[in-house]
Amino acid sequence: MTDDAKPLLRAAGLSKHFPLESGILASWRGTGTTVKAVESVSLDVYAGQTLAIVGESGSGKSTLGRLLLRLIQPSAGHVQYKGENIFAMNRARLRAFRRQAQIILQDPYASLNPRMRVGRIIREPLDIYREGSKAEREKRVHALLERVGLTSAQARAYPAELSGGQRQRVCIAAALALSPEIVIADEPTSSLDVSVQAQTLNLLSELQRDFNLTYVFITHDLGVVQHFSDRVAVMYLGKIVEEAPTDALFAAPQHPYTQVLFSAIPRPDPSRRVNWELPKGEPPSPLDPPSGCHFHPRCPQVLAACSSTVPRLLETAPGRRVACLLHEADKEPRPS
Amino acid sequence: MSLLSVQNLTTEFLSGGRWLEAVSDVSFDLQRGEILGLVGESGCGKSTIAYSVMRLLASNARISAGEVWLEDVNLTAASEDALQDLRGSRLSMIFQDPMTALDSLFTVGHQVIETLQEHLGLSAAAAQERALDLLRQVGIPAAEERLGAYPYQFSGGMSQRIALAIAISCHPQVLIADEPTTALDVTIQAQILHLIRRLLVEEGGSGVLLITHDLGVVAQVCDRVAVMYAGKIVEFGEVESIFSNPLHPYTQALFKSLPSQGIARGELENIQGLVPGLADRPSGCHFHPRCSHARAICRERTPPLRNAADGQEVACVLYD
Repeated sequence: MTDDAKPLLRAAGLSKHFPLESGILASWRGTGTTVKAVESVSLDVYAGQTLAIVGESGSGKSTLGRLLLRLIQPSAGHVQYKGENIFAMNRARLRAFRRQAQIILQDPYASLNPRMRVGRIIREPLDIYREGSKAEREKRVHALLERVGLTSAQARAYPAELSGGQRQRVCIAAALALSPEIVIADEPTSSLDVSVQAQTLNLLSELQRDFNLTYVFITHDLGVVQHFSDRVAVMYLGKIVEEAPTDALFAAPQHPYTQVLFSAIPRPDPSRRVNWELPKGEPPSPLDPPSGCHFHPRCPQVLAACSSTVPRLLETAPGRRVACLLHEADKEPRPS
Repeated sequence: MSLLSVQNLTTEFLSGGRWLEAVSDVSFDLQRGEILGLVGESGCGKSTIAYSVMRLLASNARISAGEVWLEDVNLTAASEDALQDLRGSRLSMIFQDPMTALDSLFTVGHQVIETLQEHLGLSAAAAQERALDLLRQVGIPAAEERLGAYPYQFSGGMSQRIALAIAISCHPQVLIADEPTTALDVTIQAQILHLIRRLLVEEGGSGVLLITHDLGVVAQVCDRVAVMYAGKIVEFGEVESIFSNPLHPYTQALFKSLPSQGIARGELENIQGLVPGLADRPSGCHFHPRCSHARAICRERTPPLRNAADGQEVACVLYD
């Protein structure tokens, strides 16, 4: 990547608030409480790279993934795909965008129609976009099946006849049918056993190399992040708290939450046992997030100001951003 | 005498009119004050061992051979009444989904107190006092108020703490923990595993059988580990020695398939093929069709678990 590379996908000030009290009255009155699932997120996704979004449950990482594909509408902010705001696209433009941007989900069984044969599942996107003749589509289905390590004969199988790893291959084949540029993978290997996970990760990286794919990898598995991604954005309660190149982040995480998170990962190395007492408390409810920095009640390095001051996501080194008062002190003063 | 002794256990499931072995001739001992990991991929039989020990198998499953001893009690021969007394008192279990252990219709306090009165015969007041104590020990904030709350009012991590409080309430000698942290976030996982080690092993001197698919969890909390593949233990020993020097080709392949830094992308070693289903387990060594070291003999002979080096046991003809 060169410094002046343009991002393929760029989110700016992206927020998603889910109303808890639904109905016309509540929205008219504006009294309904909301969950701020994603709050003012800005990030860039570069072509041919893998950006990992990590965080624990409730951090908003899946909601962010859905926003990036316009599967849901944002409460504020926008997402630009090659400079064009995806939320301002008309039907035709959106249709063209959707062809280029695909998603792979965690549970391959839930995302496959149990009554459709595998061949039809993979052909469906081709049918919808009327790609080529019927014979050409069939040919493409078989080529895709083989590309993801399944056999042509498995086109006639139903999802229930396949293993979890094979089902995820079907999802990958369907996502690739239209030769997209970007694939958002939401916990694509979390439900798979490690040996099957290794097969799937290898397949995903071969495909990335062969087709110059851009990935956004949403995951809580830091081993996968470290192995697979170029850049990482760490989320906590709807916000990005740290963003950095993968190697730099793992070498020296800067945000106290990232440090706590990393220390809690059980590493497969019995000679380096972690301090199990370090992470304290539970992630707070997104319904009622703490004031100031959301992490301050659990933070081992909390300052007096953390409960009242919302930290800004500021650059600490080229390509590294951290939202923490500890790192804000030596930066430019806050506008009063 | 070891605390828990599993001897030549074979457990079968009824499927399509045939009994198929899920666990084949498995033997191991659990000592006091240790966490023994039982690790393997889905379908390897690790949970079936747990349910066999607890005698909680479904009606389509049976123990067809072998014995399980809890000190001097033969669990495989014990009556249902005797088992009822043992479960919850000397033998306890926690599950992946804490909601399966908690009854959604009763308050958490009721459920903890019920266990205490049932097994320890405590008075209502004493049980209440002890319940509060337990909730504090497992790290439930504002325990007095939380006694009156229902399970749905708790997060996954808090529910697992309560399941753990119930499981340890009668000071069990053996705790079987079946993927206790798989559904939890890593920071909460760390807290729960730490609690299990501190409350049961260090303070209580109990033995814990920890069933997991996560090699990281094994490395961090277990003392010894049994690696399972297709119904059998293929390698057994101290965590340090197995992680620094895995002997069985399956264990080696499993470690190499773990993603981590330093391995270029797309170069994770993977094990060709799939874990066989119960009906298609291969002859001889169950791993031979996927093993890069397989020889003709592996198809015919089932290698027994034998001592290979320094207390490390392995079931593979390479080490005969």
